[in-house]
Amino acid sequence: MPFEAKLALFAALVVLSVFAGLIWKARTGRANLVKSGELVDLNKLEALKDGVRVSKYGRKVTFVQFSTEVCSQCRQTARLLGEVEAKHKDVLHVEVDVTNRLDLAAHFKVLQTPTTLVLDSSGRVKSRIGGAPKPNVIAHELEKLEVI
Amino acid sequence: MSSAANGTTPAGIDPRGPRFGATITNVLSVIIFFLALDTDRINQSAAYLLLVLAAVLFAVGAFFGPSAHPYSWLYKKLVKPRLGAPKELEDPRPPQFAQAVGLFVAAVGIVLQAVGVQYGVAIAAAALFAATTLQAYFAYCLGCQIYLALKRAGIIRAS
Repeated sequence: MPFEAKLALFAALVVLSVFAGLIWKARTGRANLVKSGELVDLNKLEALKDGVRVSKYGRKVTFVQFSTEVCSQCRQTARLLGEVEAKHKDVLHVEVDVTNRLDLAAHFKVLQTPTTLVLDSSGRVKSRIGGAPKPNVIAHELEKLEVI
Repeated sequence: MSSAANGTTPAGIDPRGPRFGATITNVLSVIIFFLALDTDRINQSAAYLLLVLAAVLFAVGAFFGPSAHPYSWLYKKLVKPRLGAPKELEDPRPPQFAQAVGLFVAAVGIVLQAVGVQYGVAIAAAALFAATTLQAYFAYCLGCQIYLALKRAGIIRAS
């Protein structure tokens, strides 16, 4: 293969990789509206808060974060949502490890982690965030559910 | 990954270490890519051997964890002293999963080339380049994006 052809192939590879990276960066961590408004039962999720089972929703908002063991962004997201929870008393953040709960992953159609469901005060899903949430996305969700 | 079953988390590592390693693999994959596409037989063999070397390095990370990886040692010796202590530590299991994916890709390339696929090594190098570009420069996390999907598809059964 002539050198020019190799260089062209490599350039195409660089463009493709960078393009994929930019698209992923732009799309990850955004909130999508959920129309179904499914009622999420925290008991069935076996949701944990500091190692203790939780069944009561947050007064205005509950963030249900699905995580796995091999997900570095799940730790960052848990920290971010934990800080939001500490700042606003109407907010609850729970984390559900789906590494060994594929039934839950299938039910909620979770393919990537973290995936975060935003529930209203009655436990109905309002929106869904795939990937580590962008900070302004969280602020917007809090506004919509009248926390701020 | 058995430690998670009983709810314990392994000791954290410096998150910049795996990204430094991904950068080295990124450069290595470019070298392999160009050598593999060369018409010179010796360069093609060199590409093959370098991919085998990459596979061995991935295997160390995949089986013994990122802290045991030679790049991690390089990072601690050369880079970390200039950067100072990390702001936060990271779970070693996500980069360990990424190493296992790298091992799989490298192994596929080695096998394809061995059974006579002309550009087997080049294809694997291209895939490694794309993955490490995302990891090193976009903080993309393979474990976050594909682990659950693979597990749900039944491709991963472990733990």
